[in-house]
Amino acid sequence: MTMNRPRGWRRGLVDLDVGEVSREIFVNEEIYAEEQERIFARAWLHVGHESQIAKPGDYFVSCMGEESVILCRDRANKVHVFLNSCRHRGMKVCRYDEGSTTVFTCPYHGWSYGTDGRLVGVPYFREAYHSRLDKEKLGLVEVAQLANYKGSIWATWDPAAPPFTEYLGGFTRYLDLQLDGWDGREGQAEVLGGVQKWLVPCNWKFPAENFSGDTYHNISHRSVDLAGIGPSGAGRRDMGERDVSRKLHVCVPDRGHQTILYVLPADKLPPPAYMNAPIVAEYFRHCEEERRRNRGEEARLVGAPGEIFPNTALLSRQPRTMAGWQPRGPHQTECWRWFFVDRDAPSEVKNFLRDYYIRYSGPAGMTEQDDMENWNYAHAASRGTIARRYPYNYEQGHGTAVTDYAYQGLRVPGEVIDLTEVQSSEQPMRNFYRRWAEFMEADDWSQLATWRTVRKAAE
Amino acid sequence: MSAPINIRDLAAGTSIVLADGAEAEIVDNPGDGIWLFARYLSSPHDPSLVGQEEMIFVQNVVSIGTATSMSSRA
Repeated sequence: MTMNRPRGWRRGLVDLDVGEVSREIFVNEEIYAEEQERIFARAWLHVGHESQIAKPGDYFVSCMGEESVILCRDRANKVHVFLNSCRHRGMKVCRYDEGSTTVFTCPYHGWSYGTDGRLVGVPYFREAYHSRLDKEKLGLVEVAQLANYKGSIWATWDPAAPPFTEYLGGFTRYLDLQLDGWDGREGQAEVLGGVQKWLVPCNWKFPAENFSGDTYHNISHRSVDLAGIGPSGAGRRDMGERDVSRKLHVCVPDRGHQTILYVLPADKLPPPAYMNAPIVAEYFRHCEEERRRNRGEEARLVGAPGEIFPNTALLSRQPRTMAGWQPRGPHQTECWRWFFVDRDAPSEVKNFLRDYYIRYSGPAGMTEQDDMENWNYAHAASRGTIARRYPYNYEQGHGTAVTDYAYQGLRVPGEVIDLTEVQSSEQPMRNFYRRWAEFMEADDWSQLATWRTVRKAAE
Repeated sequence: MSAPINIRDLAAGTSIVLADGAEAEIVDNPGDGIWLFARYLSSPHDPSLVGQEEMIFVQNVVSIGTATSMSSRA
C-alpha cells in the first residue's frame, strides 16, 4: 500500500498525490458521523492530567469525542475513565466540571456508582427488583484501555488499539518536551489553574491542522507581535532561542503525529529571556543549565506547536499548554486548553506564567483569537453548494521531505523539512490527512497498525 | 403527611427511621441528597440486618430517630 494514496475511501476526498483535500470532509454531516465511529471510537485520546485528580475521590469530567467521560481516582488510588452515563436511562451521573466525591449518583432515578465504577446503590433494590438485579454487570462503562504517560492520562474505547507508547511511535520525544521538567527531570508538569473551554463555529480539523504546524499563517499574528504581549514586553514570545535554532517540520508518517521543532546549535545556550521579571529569568537560566546536564544532546530540542492524531495539540515552550479539539457536530468545536508549569517552580514563576499564558492562549488570549477568526470564517465560507466543489490546496513542499535529517550531530527521525531553508511547508497537514483517510478506510487496528505490517514484510 | 427531610443536612451519627420501621445510624453522607451510608440499629422485618452497613435511599427515610447509636452503647 502506498502511504500517499488512501485505498479508496470515497476516492478523491483526500488526494495527497495532487495535494488536495475536499471541503466535504469539513462540512458534510455524514462524514462527521462516520468520524465519530472510525476515529474517535478507535484512537487514543487525551483525557486529562493526574494533577487534576490528586486525591482518592477526586474527579474531572472530560470528554472523548462527543462522549462525556469521568476521569477519577478511586478509594484505592486507582485511576479510571468512565462513560458519564447511567446504565439505567443514560442520564449523566456527574454534572460538575470537577470535584471530590464518594459516589456518582444519577439524579434521574437514583442509581449510584462508586468511584471504582461499581453500581452500589439501586433504589428499591429489595422491594422492586426483589434483589435479583445483577449489579455486577451494570457498573459504569469503562474505557477499553487507559495509559498514564508521565502524568498525562490517555484512553481509548478500542481494546484492539496498540499500547499508547506504540501509538505514539517516535513522537514520545516531543510529548516528553511537554511533560518533563524545564530542568530535564521526567514528568514534572502540573496543570496550572482550571481548564479553559470555549466554542468556535468550525470543524474540529481546522484547529487540528493549524496546530499540526501551520507556520504559513504568521501574517495573522502580526498585530499581536506589534502589540508586544511577550514575556519581555516585545513580540508575541521571547524569540531569542528560536532565532539561533534550526527550525523544522517533523512528521511521524505512519502515526499521523507532527510538530514544529527547533534545534539549538551544539555549542549555544538559549539567549536570556523573561527580561521583565528577574526571578523568572533566573529560574529559567538555572533550568536550562540543569537541562543540559540531565539530557545532554537531547536538551538542544525546543518544542513548538504540534499535534497528536487526532485532536490533541501540544505547545511545550511557550506558553506551555495542551489543547483538545472536541467535536460538537460538523460545524462546531469545543476547544479545551490545559496550561502547565513545573510543579515545584516558585510561586512567582507560576503567577508570572499564568498571566502570560492567558494573555496568549485561550478564549481571551490575543494570539488564539487571531486563529479562531480564521477557522470561523474559513469554515463558514466552505459550507455552500458552490464552495464545496473546490478542494483546499496542500501542495506546498510536496515531495521535498527527507528521512535522514541531522543537525550538528543530532538526528531527527521521521519525515523532516528544514524550514530555516524553505520558510514553510504543508508536509504536516498532508501527514495529518493521510492518517485521517487511513482511519476512515480501515476496518480495524490490524489495518491501522501499518508499521507492524511493514516490519513483518521486512522480516 | 410530615414534611420531607432534607437528608443533605444530616450529619454522621444521626439516627434515622426507615419506611419499614427499621432504624439506622448514618455513618457517612455523600451530600447528593439521594443516598446515605448507614448502619442498622434495629430491623423488625429482618433482624439479620442489624449491625450491617447499607446505602439508604432518601425515599426510605421517614423521620429522625431517637435510638442510641451502637457505637455509643459500646
